[in-house]
Amino acid sequence: MSGGVRSVAVVGRDTAAWVIALGLRRALSGIGVKVSVVELPSALGPADMHATLPSLANLHGVLGLQEEALFVRCGAVPSLGQQFAGWSAAPFVLGYDVSRPAINDVDFVQFWSLARRQGMRVAFEDFSLAAAAAKQGRIATARPGKAGQAPQPGYHLSAPAYAALLRQGCVAMGIEIRTSATIAAERDGERVTAVALDDGGRVEADLFIDASGSERALIGHDGFEPWSDAFPATHLFTGALPPLDPLPAHARIVAAPDGWGGLFPLQGMTAVAGHAAGEEAAHRIAASLGPVRNLTVRRFTPGMLRRSWIGNVAAVGEAAVALERLDAGESQLLQVALSNLVALWPVDRDDMQEARDYDRAMASHAGNIRDFQQAHYRLCDRPEPFWQAARAAAPSLDLAARLALFGARGIVSHRDDESYEPQLWAAMMIGHGVIPAESAPAVDRTPPEEAIGKIQQLLHVIAEEVRAMPGVSDVIAAKRAGR
Amino acid sequence: MSASRIERVVIVGGGTAGWMAAAALAKVLGSRGPGIVLVESEAIGTVGVGEATIPPITLFNKLLGIDEDEFIRETRATFKLGIEFTDWLRVGHSYLHSFGLFGADMNGIAFTHYMLRAQAEGLSLDRDWFNAEAQAAHLGKFGRTPPGAPPTMPRVNYAFQFDAGLYAAYLRRFAEGLGVVRAEGKIVAVTRAGDGIASATLDDGRQIAGDFFIDCSGFRGLLIEETLGAGYHDWSEWLPANRAIAVPSKRLAVLPPLTSTIARSAGWQWRIPLQHRTGNGYVFSDAFISEDAAMAELMAKLPTEATGEPRVLRFTAGYRRRHWVGNCLALGLASGFLEPLESTSIHLVQAGLAKLLALFPQGDNDPALAERYNSEMAALYEGIRDFIVAHYALTEREDTDFWRSRRAMALPDSLQARLHRFRSRGEVGAGGMELFRDSNWFAILDGQGLNPQGYHPVADAMPPELLRERLGQVRAAIDRRVAGLPSHEEALAAIVAGA
Repeated sequence: MSGGVRSVAVVGRDTAAWVIALGLRRALSGIGVKVSVVELPSALGPADMHATLPSLANLHGVLGLQEEALFVRCGAVPSLGQQFAGWSAAPFVLGYDVSRPAINDVDFVQFWSLARRQGMRVAFEDFSLAAAAAKQGRIATARPGKAGQAPQPGYHLSAPAYAALLRQGCVAMGIEIRTSATIAAERDGERVTAVALDDGGRVEADLFIDASGSERALIGHDGFEPWSDAFPATHLFTGALPPLDPLPAHARIVAAPDGWGGLFPLQGMTAVAGHAAGEEAAHRIAASLGPVRNLTVRRFTPGMLRRSWIGNVAAVGEAAVALERLDAGESQLLQVALSNLVALWPVDRDDMQEARDYDRAMASHAGNIRDFQQAHYRLCDRPEPFWQAARAAAPSLDLAARLALFGARGIVSHRDDESYEPQLWAAMMIGHGVIPAESAPAVDRTPPEEAIGKIQQLLHVIAEEVRAMPGVSDVIAAKRAGR
Repeated sequence: MSASRIERVVIVGGGTAGWMAAAALAKVLGSRGPGIVLVESEAIGTVGVGEATIPPITLFNKLLGIDEDEFIRETRATFKLGIEFTDWLRVGHSYLHSFGLFGADMNGIAFTHYMLRAQAEGLSLDRDWFNAEAQAAHLGKFGRTPPGAPPTMPRVNYAFQFDAGLYAAYLRRFAEGLGVVRAEGKIVAVTRAGDGIASATLDDGRQIAGDFFIDCSGFRGLLIEETLGAGYHDWSEWLPANRAIAVPSKRLAVLPPLTSTIARSAGWQWRIPLQHRTGNGYVFSDAFISEDAAMAELMAKLPTEATGEPRVLRFTAGYRRRHWVGNCLALGLASGFLEPLESTSIHLVQAGLAKLLALFPQGDNDPALAERYNSEMAALYEGIRDFIVAHYALTEREDTDFWRSRRAMALPDSLQARLHRFRSRGEVGAGGMELFRDSNWFAILDGQGLNPQGYHPVADAMPPELLRERLGQVRAAIDRRVAGLPSHEEALAAIVAGA
């Protein structure tokens, strides 16, 4: 054994590169690992955005980022969920709830589905504090209330501004940054020994991180497995619309005949992103959302590398896994990559056995996110050929089992190395129209009158709590003022 | 609710598994739930394995809502802080698999990495210094964590060793108190219905019909295998032991809060201290030693005078391909057999019940429920299998054919990968939902002499003086906690006297 990793070079661009560089620098500074970045030209346009889940706060704790900076510099708008419109019979809001309501220790889903089968009309989302707040454009404060822990928001962020903020953090931490329009890798078998830059310079490192997005500048495209069956869209489009007034506290994801388009509110604009079957469809869907500015359309194939760490090159972000812009999947997976890189930081710079475990963790999380996204497609009941094709794609064994079990009993099976909490799965499947066929026998321990009382009480408490929450614009104003 | 709702559950077999099932179902499904009938025959003996347990048993007690002290008195139980492994690495060597953690995480990584670093820097330390359960076990002490104790107080995690016969009798009284009906009789015929079971016929001609059946009939699997043909995964290749001889002996003079397993010529011997007697047994492979010779070896090595006749049990390591088929679910020995080296038998019953209760069918018995159950149980069985096999795989013993064959065996891929990772960085990466976590694996692999070549690089960030200080603080906190504990005997006496 030759000793530990002395240096790591992050080769890439934009958010993925800066998050990983800053995260590694902060986690590993104590052991003297030198972190450098080879910065490739940005691929971001002015209208690009990131959607994140509430767990972004954990990442920012690791990175040492202040929430205030997101509001002042990154156009942040807090978001408590995603509204799905035109997917299934009725639109619904998928709320980012933290707590999971229960009656006498039995999951509320069991009571809701029982009441629903007996004719109750109230939608499941009405029992979600996050969804109820999101629909009224309100954001919870951190104070836990009667309806359980207050939901923390995720954010919509301006991608170029966020990348600039992270880059500045890297500079402040003394990370060496070299820029180059292109790079050439010098290799020794599977290993990269150095990266040659346009200016004739070279960057050597024991470990390289490929954060170059779809270019896959170091890891290469071999072993990329497309998920085209499940996700028939071939193009990604992005652009901008004027800001919405009043500002919603959620994203809006609208299904179209041959793809979908999303509206993600930011301060001063509404970011648009979506996926479509072909360039023409992309233009059509964008136009259906409004007078989109800065529209860009590019080919985009969801999928992932079979091995995301080869030799001394580990891939992160879109270089490893390309995901549709749904469910904040990209942001989730970037956090997974960083935490696994730190947890599996190699002990031997010449023989990085940790690659297998990194591959396994990334594949598990990516598969889980893909399953979640594919579930939207499978449960969508639109009649067009695009949607029929998506429904005809075989689900993974995990997804098939999960849908079957939830349909039967309202239970979400959960395993290690997953990105979405069971309550998010439950809300998503119910939102798309799944009503569990039966409830757990444990509901019988609560007399029906008591259950009805508790259900009404929950509605009442949620309504009361939401009324007390400030509106999104007020929250933004307060955060910008540093309050 | 649908008309086909489950009105009656029939449990076949009344050993530990059967009465655990009856008690848990009656408690959780409640008086508005299905009727529960348990069929057992006094003419058929029960195996009563699994007198030793692991800490999740306390959750089962909580689920039932039983008073722990009463349970200890009724089952003549002792406390258990871990398992002592003697002669497993080599003759004369011994180590503890104590419950609980080593130290506490620092800077996001496990304490064990800091222990490995300190050792690599030449510091001579004993891992048991950093584990409260191990220190208490070495000193024969025990005490529960008092209510309202500060979070900094080192916890003492525990399980129990109890008389399985008394445990079944205790649970029977509990279950009958909740309305479970016991039917005495021997089953002479089973009637199928579709892909499941319709009824069982007793030797007196009575027909016991049910909507859902739980097979606790032991190794044979009267319903799950003999009737429904669930199939069996045979793991003899990795776990060749196929016999056990069990014999009780007199009480130990001083009761250690520990189960002992001592490696023998063709397997291993257990010693389980109870309040009133000692449970002993020899798990071995008859390919390497005859039953007579094994019996002689065991009787010569009993810690105290035998108080009963030895009984021979025969089994094959492995588990059912399907634990739940149609309307029938197998628990206990009917669902599989893993030698009790890590005291997992009762846990497998308990885990099966927890999963069954979560998935309990209402009416149509959707196949998704059984599929989910079967896949979760398969993962649990395989995880325990790997953990047990690791003990054998890492022996240095060459003194008998049995141990030579264990050293030479090809390992399951999943175990191979874990040993590999442990060798390179002192952790196996066990998931948060697994039964045995990284600290358990560390106890076993380190105990079996597998020395990691590295540890998590972040452990190097701590300055050497600070590392020594932290190690010293953890050790001192544990010493203080353990010094304040009564002896195991005193702790038991207080509970027994509290009747």
